[in-house]
Parts: sequence; C-alpha cells; structure tokens
Amino acid sequence: MAEVRHKSGKPLQVNPHKLSQPMGATLAFLGVDRCMPLMHGGQGCASFTKVMFTRHFCEPIALQTTAVNDVIAVLDGGDYSILESVKNIHDKVAPELIGVHTTGLTETKGDDLRGIASKIDVPLVYVNTPDYQGGLESGWALTTQALIDQLTEPCDRIDAQKIVLVPHVSLQPIEVEKLRDFIESFGFKVVAVPDLSSSLDNHLGEKQASLSSGGVTVAEVKQLADAAFVVTLGASVKPVGTTLQKKNPAIQHRHFDHVNGLQGTDALVAWLLETSGRGDRLPPVVERWRKRLQDAMLDSHFSIGQTRFLLVAEPDHLASMAASLREVGGKIALAISTVDSPILGDIEADQVIVGDLEDAEKMHDAYDLIIGNFHTEALAHRVAKKAVMRGFPNYEEVGIALKNDLLYEGGAYFLFEIANAAERMREEQVHHEREQIKLQRIA
Amino acid sequence: MSSKPKIKELLAESACEHNKGKKGSCNAPTPGATTGGCALDGAQIALFPFADAAHLIHGPMSCVGGAWETRLTPTSWSGRDLTQTGFATDISNNDVIFSGEKKLAAAIDHIVTNYAPEAVFVYSTCVPAMTGDDIDAVCKQRSEKHGIPCVPVHAPGFVGAKNLGSRIAGEAVLKHLIGTKEPEETTPFDINLIGEHNNTGELWRYRHLLEELGIRVLSTFSGDGRIASIRTAHRAKLNVIVCAKSLVSMTRKMQEQYGIPWISCSFYGKTDTSKSILAIAEALGDADLIERTRALIAREEARLEEKLVPYREIFAGKKAVLNTGGNKAWSIASALQDLGIEVVATSVRKSTEADKAKAREYLGENAILMTSPATQQAKVIDDTGAHLLLAGGRSLYTAIKKRIAFTDVNQEKKKSYGGYDGLLVLAEDLKNSLQNPVFELVDRKAPWQK
Ligand code: SF4
Repeated sequence: MAEVRHKSGKPLQVNPHKLSQPMGATLAFLGVDRCMPLMHGGQGCASFTKVMFTRHFCEPIALQTTAVNDVIAVLDGGDYSILESVKNIHDKVAPELIGVHTTGLTETKGDDLRGIASKIDVPLVYVNTPDYQGGLESGWALTTQALIDQLTEPCDRIDAQKIVLVPHVSLQPIEVEKLRDFIESFGFKVVAVPDLSSSLDNHLGEKQASLSSGGVTVAEVKQLADAAFVVTLGASVKPVGTTLQKKNPAIQHRHFDHVNGLQGTDALVAWLLETSGRGDRLPPVVERWRKRLQDAMLDSHFSIGQTRFLLVAEPDHLASMAASLREVGGKIALAISTVDSPILGDIEADQVIVGDLEDAEKMHDAYDLIIGNFHTEALAHRVAKKAVMRGFPNYEEVGIALKNDLLYEGGAYFLFEIANAAERMREEQVHHEREQIKLQRIA
Repeated sequence: MSSKPKIKELLAESACEHNKGKKGSCNAPTPGATTGGCALDGAQIALFPFADAAHLIHGPMSCVGGAWETRLTPTSWSGRDLTQTGFATDISNNDVIFSGEKKLAAAIDHIVTNYAPEAVFVYSTCVPAMTGDDIDAVCKQRSEKHGIPCVPVHAPGFVGAKNLGSRIAGEAVLKHLIGTKEPEETTPFDINLIGEHNNTGELWRYRHLLEELGIRVLSTFSGDGRIASIRTAHRAKLNVIVCAKSLVSMTRKMQEQYGIPWISCSFYGKTDTSKSILAIAEALGDADLIERTRALIAREEARLEEKLVPYREIFAGKKAVLNTGGNKAWSIASALQDLGIEVVATSVRKSTEADKAKAREYLGENAILMTSPATQQAKVIDDTGAHLLLAGGRSLYTAIKKRIAFTDVNQEKKKSYGGYDGLLVLAEDLKNSLQNPVFELVDRKAPWQK
C-alpha cells in the first residue's frame, strides 16, 4: 500500500486546497429544506463561504452571519449576537430551521452554544466547528450528527423498507439523486441526510436565496429513527451511523467507503439484493449499466493504464476516484489530501500526503494528468500538464452539480472523460515533439 | 509602537459620505442581517494586485479557502504572479493555545526563500487578533532579517466591513512603504493611480493614452503595481483616485505629508473616460498638455464613434434597468448612455449620498432610483417597458419571468468594460444578450401545460 504522510511538515499552506470546517457545516445545513445556516463569527467568514458556494454551484446561497464585531468579541459571550441574529432572521424569512455553526473567533472566545441554544424557542440546531480544526468533511459530518442528535425523535418501531442514506460532502447533488433512485429501484424508500440533490441541483425556479429551497425536510429528519438501515457513504460520515442508532438501537448500520467503479458498486448491489430479498434478480436497468461499465473499462483501460495521475481532493473523494482509476490500471502516483483521515491508508497510490498545491508543483515529474479543483488548472499550466476538474471549488466550469461519477452509470462516464482527457494530452505532446523535430531539421 | 491604525479615526474619516447625518460608525453590522465581506476581504482586494509581493494570511482556512486565485487583476510583472498564489498559516489548535508567532515567522522565511518577493504583506485575522499574536514584532524582525519590507496589515474581520479594510490597507502602505525610496527620475507629469485595481485589465484600457500624452504613471495602488514604485509614490505631482471613495483618507494624508493634490476619476464609458483624462491634464496645469489632451480625446472619440455605428441601430429606442451597487450605479449608466441606451432605473441600495446625487444627475428627472431593487425591479420593468436588465446573477430569474434580455454585471465578470475600447466590448455583450432567444424560451410553457 501507499506511503502515507499524515501531516504537512510546513509552517504554512501555499496554494491551499483545504477548506474550513464551518464551510462544510454551511453546506450540510443547505441540504435541509427551508433552512437558514447561521455562521457565528465575523461577517467575513460567511461572506467568503457564500461567495465560494454561489460561484461553485451557480446558485444563490442562503447563509447569514452573527457579524461579531470588536466590541462584541470582547464583551459578549455570544448571547447577544446569536439571539439578535435569530430574531432578525425569524422576523424576515421564518425558516423551518436555523443552523448555528461556530468559527475560530467564537470558539476562541469560548461561547457557550448549548447554553444559548436553550434560551431560544425557534427550531435551531447548533454545532461547534472551529476553523482551526478539521476541514470540509468534518464540518459536514459534525453537522449531520448534530441534526440527528438534536432533531431526530427516538423511536422503537422499524419500517423495514426505509433506508437513511448519509453521503459524504464531496458527492455532487446529482450523485445523491442517482444513488437514491438506484437504491429505491431495489424496493426501498430512501431519505438522504443532508440532501443537496433537490436544493443545489441547478433547477430553474424562483430563488432569492432567502432560504435553502429543497433538501431533506425538518419533519423527515425528526422521523429518521424508524429506518431499518442507515447507510453511510464515505469514511468521514461513518460515525453518523452510531449517532442515529442511539435514537433506535434496532437500526442496522451498513458502511461503504465509496460506491465507485465495478467493485464498489458491486458491493452495494450485493448488499441490496441480500437485504431486499430479491435473490439475484437485478433491476434490468442496473444490469444493463453494469455491462456498459464493463465495456467502458475495456475501452478506457489502454489510455488510463498508461497514465500517471495526481489526485487532489478531500479524503473520501480521493478514495473513490482512486478506486475507479485503479480498476483499469491507472497509476496513482500522488494523492494529495486536504486533511488527515483513516481512509488515506487504504488508497492505492505510490504516495498519499496531506498537503497543498506547492507540494504538487514540486513533485510534478511524478505524474501526467491531474484531477482536482479549479486551482489545479493553473497548476497544470505551470507544469505543462492537463487537469480534469473535480471537487470544491470549481469556478471555471458550468454544470458541476450534474456531474455523476458513481455507480455503474457514472463510473462509465467518469472513465470515458478521463481516458479522453489523457488521450488529448498525449496527442498534444506528440504534436509538440514532432514540431520540435521539424524545427531541428530546418535548422 | 503598534502599527495598528486608529479604527475610530478611519471610520470618522470626513470624506466618508456614509457618516453624514449618522451618529457613531457605519461599521456596526446587524447580526443575522449582514452581507458583504469583512475588513480582511477589503484589505486583500486593495493589496492583492501587487503581484511582486507575497500576501500571507495569518489565519485559518475560512479567511482564505475559496478566495485565493479569484482576483482577476492581471499584471505585467515578469516574475511569478504572487497575486495568484495563496499563502496562509492555516493556524491550528496549538497555535491558538501557544501563540502562532513562531509559525508566522517560519512561514515568512519559507516564502522569502522560495518565492523571493519584493515585500510580504502579513494580514492579521480574527483568531490571532483575539489571542494576541504580536504581528508587528514578527514583521519588524523579519524585515530586518530578510532586507525586504514585511508589512503588517491589521484588518481582522471583526473590526468592520470591506470598506474599512481597504482604508486600513491604504494606511499600512502609507506607513510602511510610501516614501521609503527615491525614484530614479521624476517628470513634471508624474501621477499615482489610487484605487485602480486593474480589474480584468481595466487600467490597460487607458494607461497607454496617458503615456502618449507624456503623463507618467509613477505608481499605482495597486493594479499592475510594483512595490518598488509605490515606495516612490511620494514624489508624484498628482494623486488620481479611480472609483474608490474608501481611499480618500489615504490621498488626504498624502496631501498633508507630501503636498500632493488629488482628484477623483472614473474610466467607465466614453464620456467619463474623456472627462477624466482631461481632468488629469488640467490638474497638472500645463497649457500645452491640455491642448494635446483635447486633440487626443477628439481622435479617440471619433475612432470609437465609427466602430459603434453598427450598434447604434440595434440599441436605438432600447431601455435598460440597472441593478448594481455603489459607483457602478452611475458609471455603468453613463456607459450605457454612451451607447444610446436609455437607463430608466438604477439601484441606489448601497450608494452613498454622493453616488445617489450623481445617479440622479446622470439619469435625469424621470428615472427611478430603486432603494430596494430586489423587490422593485420586476414592477419597474413592467412600468417602463424596459428591454434589458443589467444586474448580478441573482436577478436572472426576474429577467426570465419578464422575458427580457439579461446581462450579468457582477464583479466576477471576466471582461473589462473600461476605457474607450471597453465600451465596444460592452456593446458586443449587450447586443448578444438582446439577440439571444434564451430569455424568451427558457420559461416557456410546455405544450401540455395550460
Ligand atoms: S471575519 Fe475574521 S475570521 Fe472571518 S474571514 Fe474575516 S478575518 Fe477571517
């Protein structure tokens, strides 16, 4: 297995791809219908976050800030700014839920969120997400836990058909939808928490960003505990399974690190067949897509099999992309993670490091094709390689919310896209080399 | 002594129109009802265009995460473009408990060793400001060690909004850079461009015209800027503020300290570009220069007019509603008028008193000044029969509902509409919008819908 470096050895991040814990929290709250995420900190953190997700998703983003200023920072324990914010938000937009999440500033102050929350009688969920700890994945996971912990009502019944699906933060809205439809085609009912598939999926509608529109409803979150199963997808959200089980010990927890590629999807399908009692009767469309993926693997293996990759992403996203590429012989020369995670040790790569794009630049001899967020495009220019865009943020392309890489279907599209990009890159290189030879001959 | 600027003083700056008739400061944000970036954001916007300096954010990833490499301020600096290079100390638990000063010093060392910048701007943020890291001391010591200026910028977000941040940035440059070096030569027509960020290359739309006239841009703050030249800025004959009221305090202080007068300009659209170039020549006060300037303006306007001919017909009789903030409310309006488009309404939601007065002056008696554009604009479109909505992306849906053309004017736009030639770019974009069927089609009822 890979050589893993769990910590950056540098005193700074240069060209960082790491994103903060409060950002992950915001995104999770946006997966709840009619929610107003409220970031507790200086106004800038919320503004940066809002701008980032607005540009990434090409959608208005609902997000408010408690706008802590210097006077409040010194004098107030958070009561004033949170109570005022809740009042102001409530008067204006009457959300179903307010999602309070902290930042480094308010954690340094030591605000007592739980205490403040107990004084508020509008629906509210709070979560501690200092930005000097963790990252996007942990912010998302902690918030999902908080939603369940604080909203879900304990239950002692089980609905045998019901599955709670907990996706990791790097899944695109369409991927959550595809996954839900996929599982439902085996006869289950699925509730995804959080659910960006109907809130940030680029659909035309009246959107003033006053509140999130779409996502799991508060009523549904309250009712989660009668599910027969909780399926967690991605190592970062694995602990959410236990959180839900506390509400009803009869719930069974099934975890998948990813559902990408043939084996990843097969594992899910095998489990679905077994638990649904369908024996080996696959839904016909699933069977068809499995065959298409098999074919896609053969069609793309020649190109991908000769390519050395640099992957730059959140840990769970790295694991899923690497799995897909490895199945057709892609060589993962270097995988750069935003933060540390237990999953890093399972990634089949020559090197897995927690690092930044300066690290990537230094090691550019090791790889040919880059897969990562939009910052890797400029990196590719500097080191004369090509980049395929994946992950947060991506300001360069449109249609990101509808990019599907998972299950048999998305897996096939993913392999085609990567193989084509690798081919184009090699063609350009060959062209360039031939031009050089021509020039030499003339000289 | 601390280099922290006196926030109260900066807020009470007489040139800040916000303050007229208001008690206290304009920086008290309303919890739960605040939009816009923090002081750090403003300071970054003001200073990041210096591509030969490193910009190190001393803070966690919220302060930088999605924001680096997003500044569309190109540079002609031949070295590595440090505007597009993100540096952050990414402070962790330990730094919060034990102080992040050591880490900050090591980070500066890393940058100087690997990127050889002309200067390092060190931006304080909320957490180290709370825990009390002595950024001044670290900067001072590192400046001495490396022999380049390390400039502390005290703009943690909790001190206020963007506007204040850009003033703080101005203070920092005034205190630590301006006047620390003499220019190799001076000319009678040396100017500084203050607040020109060269967004999407806007500066490059008109600088060559100034140069043609023999007006030398001694330094810019900070578009396509150089540390070496801003250090000599005290020798300029004139400060030209480009669309940036927040930097008035900086130019006022430069007038006090160095006797440099200042004027305010805009290079949006034909009318304003001409006015501004002439204003600069007049302020420099040379009769020959003024005459040559008049000739150049006449030439440029004639050249532009000729290129605009094909657009005139398309825009004849067209009415536009403009929903954008601050000085853009009148500067873009002026550009639209240059194209022969009638601006029937504009937003003055975030405008200062002066901006409002200017909008009224540009648009005339009958135009509607919208104070709450989000709720007003749909009705305004109905009432005026407007053909075109220019606004930020959020208003797209309004245009689609009203089935009129839409053009995005937000600051993330990738093209420059400035100067004479920028007007041609704007004309082409507007033509494309007006002729695009998508706004009619997209919200069309499906055949089976009643
Ligand atoms: S408000 Fe403070 S912590 Fe937030 S982005 Fe601004 S400087 Fe950073």
